[in-house]
Amino acid sequence: MHRWDFASVLANTDALLVGAIGTLHIFAICLVLGLSLGLVVGLGRYARSRWLYWPATAFVEFFRNTPVLVQILWFYFALPILLPFSVSPLEAASLGISLNSAAFSAEIYRGGIQSIERGQWDGARAIGMNWAQAMRRIILPQALKRMMPALTNRAIEIFKMSTLASAVAYVELLQQGKLIASLNFNPIEAYTAVAVIFFVFLWPLVQFTYVLERRLAGDE
Amino acid sequence: MYRWDFTPVLANADLLAAGLVNTLKITGTSLACGLVLGLALALLRLSKHRWASWPAGFVIEVFRTTPPLVQLFWFFFALPLIVGIEMTPFMAAVVTFSIQSAAFFAEVFRAGIVSIERGQWDGARAIGMTHAQALRRIVLPQAVKRMIPAFMERTIELMKTTTLVATIAYADLLYAANEISQKTFRPLETFTVVALIYFVVITAFSLVARRLERRMAISGESTVH
Repeated sequence: MHRWDFASVLANTDALLVGAIGTLHIFAICLVLGLSLGLVVGLGRYARSRWLYWPATAFVEFFRNTPVLVQILWFYFALPILLPFSVSPLEAASLGISLNSAAFSAEIYRGGIQSIERGQWDGARAIGMNWAQAMRRIILPQALKRMMPALTNRAIEIFKMSTLASAVAYVELLQQGKLIASLNFNPIEAYTAVAVIFFVFLWPLVQFTYVLERRLAGDE
Repeated sequence: MYRWDFTPVLANADLLAAGLVNTLKITGTSLACGLVLGLALALLRLSKHRWASWPAGFVIEVFRTTPPLVQLFWFFFALPLIVGIEMTPFMAAVVTFSIQSAAFFAEVFRAGIVSIERGQWDGARAIGMTHAQALRRIVLPQAVKRMIPAFMERTIELMKTTTLVATIAYADLLYAANEISQKTFRPLETFTVVALIYFVVITAFSLVARRLERRMAISGESTVH
């Protein structure tokens, strides 16, 4: 029977803290980049002009239909060959996760915008708003409310995906867990601790999406 | 200007083919185990007994809420030490991805079963079926039809997730890419080819899924997600 001993993990709290900061750092970057780029791509997918629609669609299809780990490794190992400078682990992982999340959130934005009734557009036009004004002031605020549960789910996915940055040796929680496990020969406690930390971070967020979903179902 | 040269990559087509076969092997095995386990979890979760529904709910929450790579590392590096058995990368991967997809499938099964009208249960009971018979012959066949799009979506996610096994040195398609790129010093061509292979396989699968979904929509079935 294994004797659990978490003292060797607790002695490395500082290493875990560094990892947690790394995880939050890349999460924040990818959340902002992924969701804002997703809006741009989503509007492209909604556009009538072929010049906007096709590139946006190609982007969405490509990034949704390839694994994010392949994307990260491509940006880390392949992209620098085409560039005059090197790509850091943080940059490669952020690029992969952000572009992947942009593709997924683009579809959320498109679905949300499409779900708004035609009459809202007509009303906005009738009082003299142009397309951009109607989108910004009338359509998006209503659509965003409907998209909230799906977007929060995306945020959770981004948080989980951040662990893939460890594959290019970016210092985040899982990477620090590996380090602690190999220095102290305590993989059981080290990886259990990492799993618990992720659960503690994400569980409230997951509960929050349930609340959002229920509230939305009640409203509609 | 960089001169692209795909010949060193194509010379290693056998490694890529073997990697793709291993990727499909892990996906297929985990899918089969995940479906069976997912149905079991869903039925436990729906049970009226707390000692059945709470543990099932706990497993579902934990596996949906923690990153798959953390789960894989836990099953590969930690579990063998606890239970005292050797774990090959393949075993660790199948165990992780089976339970992980079971947690997601369980929620699909649950939503599907719950979506079947109360009257179907009552009718089955009225003609003398037991709970198990009603579930197997009346409710599940109707529910599964509604769940097919969600299953397809999840299977695509599963195939993409299997790339994580490359980090524990199982020779899947992504691992083959690492190997070839180190051997040929052609990371750009290698990773591009491998990304394209994944794209083709996954796109083909999602096109089939979309066609199925459309056929379902024509036959007037609502679906669950």
